[in-house]
Amino acid sequence: MGDLIEATERHLVSVTLRRLAEEFDGEPLSIALGDFGFGELLAAEPREAVSSLFDAMGRAGSMSGALQDVLLSPLGEVVAEATAGLSVVLPAIGAQHVGTCERGTANLRGLVIGARPSTALLAPVARDGGTAWVRIAEPGLLSTRLVAGLDPALAMTEITATGVPATIVLSGSSAVSVWDAVTTAGRRALAYQILGAVGAMIDLAVTHARDRVQFGRPIGTFQGVRNRLADAYVARQVAAAALQLAWDADDEYLAAMLAKSLAGRAARIAATHCQQVLAGIGFTAEHPFHRFLARALLLDTVLGSAAELPAAIGAHLASAGTIPRLVEL
Amino acid sequence: MEVAEFRDGVRAWIDERGEELVPASGDGSVDVQLTHQRHVQRLLFDAGWMRWGWSERIGGFGGSPMLRAVLGEELTSRALVHTTSWSMHEVLGPAVAEFARPDVVQEFFPALLRGDEFWCQGFSEPDAGSDLGSLRTTARPHRGGWVINGEKLWTSWAHHATRCVVLARTGGPGSRGISAFLVDMDAPGVTASPLQTMADVDEFCSTSFVDVEVPADRLLGEVDGGWRIAQHILSCERGPIFWQRGAWLGHHLGLLLDAVDDAKSEAALGEAFQLLWAFRATSKATQDRIAHGELPGPEASVDKIMIAAADQAIFDAARALLPGTLETGDTPRARAWRREWAYSRAATIYGGTSEIQKDIVASRLLGLARSA
Repeated sequence: MGDLIEATERHLVSVTLRRLAEEFDGEPLSIALGDFGFGELLAAEPREAVSSLFDAMGRAGSMSGALQDVLLSPLGEVVAEATAGLSVVLPAIGAQHVGTCERGTANLRGLVIGARPSTALLAPVARDGGTAWVRIAEPGLLSTRLVAGLDPALAMTEITATGVPATIVLSGSSAVSVWDAVTTAGRRALAYQILGAVGAMIDLAVTHARDRVQFGRPIGTFQGVRNRLADAYVARQVAAAALQLAWDADDEYLAAMLAKSLAGRAARIAATHCQQVLAGIGFTAEHPFHRFLARALLLDTVLGSAAELPAAIGAHLASAGTIPRLVEL
Repeated sequence: MEVAEFRDGVRAWIDERGEELVPASGDGSVDVQLTHQRHVQRLLFDAGWMRWGWSERIGGFGGSPMLRAVLGEELTSRALVHTTSWSMHEVLGPAVAEFARPDVVQEFFPALLRGDEFWCQGFSEPDAGSDLGSLRTTARPHRGGWVINGEKLWTSWAHHATRCVVLARTGGPGSRGISAFLVDMDAPGVTASPLQTMADVDEFCSTSFVDVEVPADRLLGEVDGGWRIAQHILSCERGPIFWQRGAWLGHHLGLLLDAVDDAKSEAALGEAFQLLWAFRATSKATQDRIAHGELPGPEASVDKIMIAAADQAIFDAARALLPGTLETGDTPRARAWRREWAYSRAATIYGGTSEIQKDIVASRLLGLARSA
């Protein structure tokens, strides 16, 4: 009975989050999630909260400040203030850290995704060959640029600063492990969002393959079309399976890296194949396909892409010197 | 028996037995491989490990089929047995246990588990590969039993097997007119001829059946009901077999990891491991479903596509990261890399080609009709 109630509640939560993610985007979605109590849900049921919301946002093509809630969750015990007014700066695409910090001033370059009004910023920077977390108390001193780029709807902000006052809030090995935890949490959330967008791409292409008739038959009857869609589906399914296990694996950092990399791989495969199946109509701005393509490919580049992560995974294996099972039956 | 308890028990037993379980570094010949497996299987049977996960009705100790996946994993991840020959009792065992007459099961099943018998699978034919439903081998009623005529291909270990599950036509055309039989390989008229493959392993055979008489009680299931049994067997290949094959691939990736030590190799190792993990993740969901009493459905086609991709990626990585070893090396290890790399070329072919699997994905999982 308890299980049934729990299952029903989970279902209701998931349905509500999906509806909110479809109805709202950006700041209004952040506010709606606040009213819903997403922060409390994230603290109590992180897996349920992250998997439901980020998949829903991926499918709906929306975004919210919930990514910041996720990134801040491992930082809650580090900073002595309420995290509600804070945002985490992520490294620029391809970078490992958000700049450097020396003698109370920082040189920064990074991205803030899931914008919300922030009283202060937290950023992982390179310091003494390791990592330190810095707090920027006056975000107004930073130079900011709203990134239009490939996916203008994401409303991502690029920040750059030279010699801005910064306080080190955490250094040494604990700064590294917190950065690993933030990265792991972020990678899982982004992977759900990417796979949501990939699911939307596949749905659009499959519907088109059923409806579009050429040579007197639906194009979905041609093996060339079927194989492309099957490849996209398989890539998404295996990434989703890996993502599910990313919460159970004994090495969560490695498992999240694998899940994010496989999600990015699925994005690349689905973007290519679904675009080809949708053909001319999928190339128009009027068709929604390009929005999901842009979202999936952009999120692939954040916190390590499918092109970058395999080398990091290989390095992780090499340093461990063994091929881990990660989970047992 | 709980899965974790079983795993710990098997591990402790393997450690205790030590060298006794380790195969001599052989030439990869099927003779050597099967002789060693028979030895290991007998020890496992006598210790009881081999009987868990099989129902008590057929001589097992009961428990979840997942126990069989765990046993296979612990053995193949240490290369104590070869993944391919370890698959054999898993391919045919469950369907025979389910569909054979009770006295036939009683008579033969313990021998299969104990390693006293190897069985083979007489499905494919020269003109019936992916299109299995068009097979032409016939079984006609004869003196209260049956007489079988035809030619089977890719019958693994037929020249070492004591019994063969044969699909033969008993009715009209197509998949509905097919029945399944458990045939003795020493019956007059059965001839198994090994085929040389590019992997230099004489595992596969061409097996001919000329007026082979089969008693009535060797029919599996119903007359003209063989397609269901074939589907059952094909779906069993996605169960514990895939899990232990994944473990075997992990063992080989570990050998590769040990053999290379430069940073340039890391991306290729990571890529190969990522695909192996993708397979293990989807296969784990399948193993969980089997443990809950389900037969793997069309979702398991995803597992087949993925294990083939991981298999080829791992041995391609070995070829790329150990330049010349596989192509020109002459050490036992180099020969093993060459053999396993060559065998991996068939991963997208055997057990249903990747194209057939993709068509199943398109039809059954994406709902795309095959014709207008």
